[in-house]
Amino acid sequence: MKIVVCIKQVPESNNVKFDPVTHNLLRSASTGRINPYDKNAIEAALRLRDTVGGSVSVLTMGPPAAEETLRDGLAMGADDAYLLSSRAFGGADTLATGYTIAQAIRKIGGVDLLVFGRQAVDADTGQVGPIVAELLDQPQVTFASKIAVLDDHTLHVTRDLDDRKQTIRLTLPAVLSVRSELNTPRYETPVNIQDSFTKPLTVWNEKDIAADPTRIGLQGSPTVVTKVFAPENAGRQNQQLTGTPAEAVDQLINILQQQNLI
Amino acid sequence: MAFNWTPQQNMLLRMVSEFTDKEVAPFDMQIDRDGRYPDGLFQKMVETGFLGIMLPREYGGAAFDPEITAEVIRRMAVGNASAAVTLEGHYKTVDQILKFGTDALKREYLPSATKRIFAFSMTESTGGSNPMGIQTTAKRAGDDWVISGNKIMITNGGLAEVYCVLVKTAPDELSVFLVDKDMPGFSFGKQEDFIGLRGVPVGEIVLDNVRVSADHLLGKLGNGIMIGDSAHDDARILMGAALTGIMEHALQVAADYANERKAGDGTIGQMQSIQRKIADIAMGKETTKLLYQRAALLKANNQPYSEEATMAKAYGSRTAVSACDDALQVLAGYGYSREYPLAHLIMDARAMEIAEGTVEKMRSAIAIAELSK
Amino acid sequence: MTNTEEIWILAEHDANRVQPVTFQLITKARAIAAGRRVVVVLLEGTQEHFAEQISAYGPDEIIRVSADSLERPADSTAASALMQLMAKRQPNAMLFAATAQGRSIAPRLQAKLGTGLTADCLDLRFDGDNLVAVKPSYGDNVMCEITCPQRRPQMVSVRPNTFTAEKAGGVRTKITTAELTLAAPKGIVIEDEQVAVSSATGVTGASKVIALGRGAKGDATVARTRQLAARLGASVGVSRPLTDRDDFTVEQQIGQSGNTIAPDFLLNVGISGATQYLVGIDQAKLIVSVNRDADAPIMAQSDYTYTGDAEAFLKAFANRLDVK
Repeated sequence: MKIVVCIKQVPESNNVKFDPVTHNLLRSASTGRINPYDKNAIEAALRLRDTVGGSVSVLTMGPPAAEETLRDGLAMGADDAYLLSSRAFGGADTLATGYTIAQAIRKIGGVDLLVFGRQAVDADTGQVGPIVAELLDQPQVTFASKIAVLDDHTLHVTRDLDDRKQTIRLTLPAVLSVRSELNTPRYETPVNIQDSFTKPLTVWNEKDIAADPTRIGLQGSPTVVTKVFAPENAGRQNQQLTGTPAEAVDQLINILQQQNLI
Repeated sequence: MAFNWTPQQNMLLRMVSEFTDKEVAPFDMQIDRDGRYPDGLFQKMVETGFLGIMLPREYGGAAFDPEITAEVIRRMAVGNASAAVTLEGHYKTVDQILKFGTDALKREYLPSATKRIFAFSMTESTGGSNPMGIQTTAKRAGDDWVISGNKIMITNGGLAEVYCVLVKTAPDELSVFLVDKDMPGFSFGKQEDFIGLRGVPVGEIVLDNVRVSADHLLGKLGNGIMIGDSAHDDARILMGAALTGIMEHALQVAADYANERKAGDGTIGQMQSIQRKIADIAMGKETTKLLYQRAALLKANNQPYSEEATMAKAYGSRTAVSACDDALQVLAGYGYSREYPLAHLIMDARAMEIAEGTVEKMRSAIAIAELSK
Repeated sequence: MTNTEEIWILAEHDANRVQPVTFQLITKARAIAAGRRVVVVLLEGTQEHFAEQISAYGPDEIIRVSADSLERPADSTAASALMQLMAKRQPNAMLFAATAQGRSIAPRLQAKLGTGLTADCLDLRFDGDNLVAVKPSYGDNVMCEITCPQRRPQMVSVRPNTFTAEKAGGVRTKITTAELTLAAPKGIVIEDEQVAVSSATGVTGASKVIALGRGAKGDATVARTRQLAARLGASVGVSRPLTDRDDFTVEQQIGQSGNTIAPDFLLNVGISGATQYLVGIDQAKLIVSVNRDADAPIMAQSDYTYTGDAEAFLKAFANRLDVK
């Protein structure tokens, strides 16, 4: 089974700060890390490979420094890596990113299964997997919580919707996005860490993947971020519930109802 | 001292910190209370490859150098000192097999050192600091040796599966042999109930006519003292690292508390009496770090490191006990409570004034080295 | 294809009912419509009839597509049904629920249309013809306003329970039926669907947590709390002293040596609020604390406080929910 896992480099911490005067986002100087949910995707792919054989590649789109994130995937045990890197890819939203990845998957060729993490911790969209599936005209199962192999071309997948579970027979080639409950990702092992720097890592730009220049980067991105601001920090209100326990509970239930918590 | 780690080294150290934060640190209090590792923790360390970090590639290890190995121990100790010392006991034993083992012995045993814990055993009820007092013997039987006796207070005793044991091969001759727990005549004895480093199993092995082939001898006959000293030196670097990690843990707890505990209009961290303690803990941590890092650097460069390694542990152990005591005082009543880790940190550090050579013996060793220069 | 000034909403339902988020979206769409028509697209099985539930919330129109394959449609089937509808009549905006289902269908439709989709929004408004979507980023530490100025429809998904649903009287909802040709989905067979049994035992990922401390450690209190938690869909957490009980471990412990939690609702019962506990609850959204001591440190770190007996409060809470 030829498996590609699409991963993303996200900021080391979500604790971003704003310039108190200009209200601009102060980008953290710290280096990036692999999106934690993508580790579940890599783990799922490695387990499939260990069951049925084949190979696991990790793929990301980003600046040259995103190589570090790919090395993390290799250190978990992936066999090789692809970095889609070019100034022309810059400023891509989910649609342009999905197109770019779909082009790369075509170029790799013969991919049986594409695996995504459920979403990125920085932008929380989870959109790219379904976009790639649509562009490649492949079936998708999102939010997979269990994966079993039926044969070389068929998986049996449990999908967790918010309050329902589906069991799905999925014929490859196909796209999966996995829930974090699916597995506990292995740590990078010391031996794999040493080897990760000698495993093949291929860098492709827009020409290598024969991308339509109007569909990548800023130009291929229909959405525009018009404003970035700090959420209002409410602080703790410190209000008192009063009266008998029963009266206090009534006040609490009102508050919970107002906030759609009950 | 190489503070510019390579990308591989950085990735390893980041993994170790992540592992420690997620898998080890949350159980720090529980490990001390229960006197053992939670189910599955040790297995997870093995699966992640911790045992093979310093083992050469040809035996299936990752071949990280002595400086990185010490850094791994320090980071693990910030989460839990016992886990760090369990690794230390294994690494120092593997080091002696690498240095003194026959090729046949290395090929037979070292590949399994990625999965099985190895332990080094010197002490008996009649001798420890006085090695000639031991009574375990190895006697020739044709081409083989037959070993009998009881070894006690072994770091990782009971958990480890392979033991390097100090034995008498003649009334005045000490040698070291490797024995495997699966050999006929091998059994486990009493486990100690120690007041610190409570996760580390410390126990006895009983050898009743355990038969080993001649290639299980480390070095030559009569090398026992020399190999024991070498094991001490390797252990002491890593103990310096573990002590630094303990001080880092204590400093975190004390600083967090000092920043949050209100006093008057401010926090107790604004008081000079508290600041002095914080500063002392920080200085103790950094000086110990410099000592073990220097010893590790010398070792990595194949230069003598015995005296420096001894200083790292002799200085670091008392300094850490005192630093944890200062941290306890910063938290006052809370520090004295079992809800906070300072009591067990003191006892964890205290172990290292005794294990791998008492501070008294170490000071003698340092003094003799200085007097003979 | 006709371009319209309509706001479309994809109705979400399971076998039994329309999801409340659909009603919430209708109410919000009506509030920001400014003359635009609010149209709900209802994809349902031939034995299902959800239009009536939806019309109570006052959309101008419901487009009902009924087919056996839509009872449990594959994402690609739902996306292609929407695409066929849009080929006849293109809306200005299309709203989805940011549920697992909405998040799976919307991007497939987005890729077909080549337009913009902003996921997981917390607020919506129109600025002229542009739909301004407000969404959190970096784990809710940053808010962004995002528009899709050049392409239509402009698509968003919205978190459930962001808006309040209100029934609307006096709106005559037009119900139209669309006939579509839906091919069997490629490569996918949904064999079975079942209601998921909640398995919220861990505190880390829980959206609601009831935390017990030294002031609430009796067996009866713990038992009552478990019942209450089950009723609320909450997990039960503890401060350090309660891990001494056999039925709690570090897995349920909140605080520096336990877990850091970030629920939408945290109820602290009988917890005084030692520093090492407080660092574990910093990210909780709504904190309510019950303690006998009005000056306990936990009280200053709470949105709402009740000074009184912890066990009496829990009993009253349980009673109130059971009789409801």
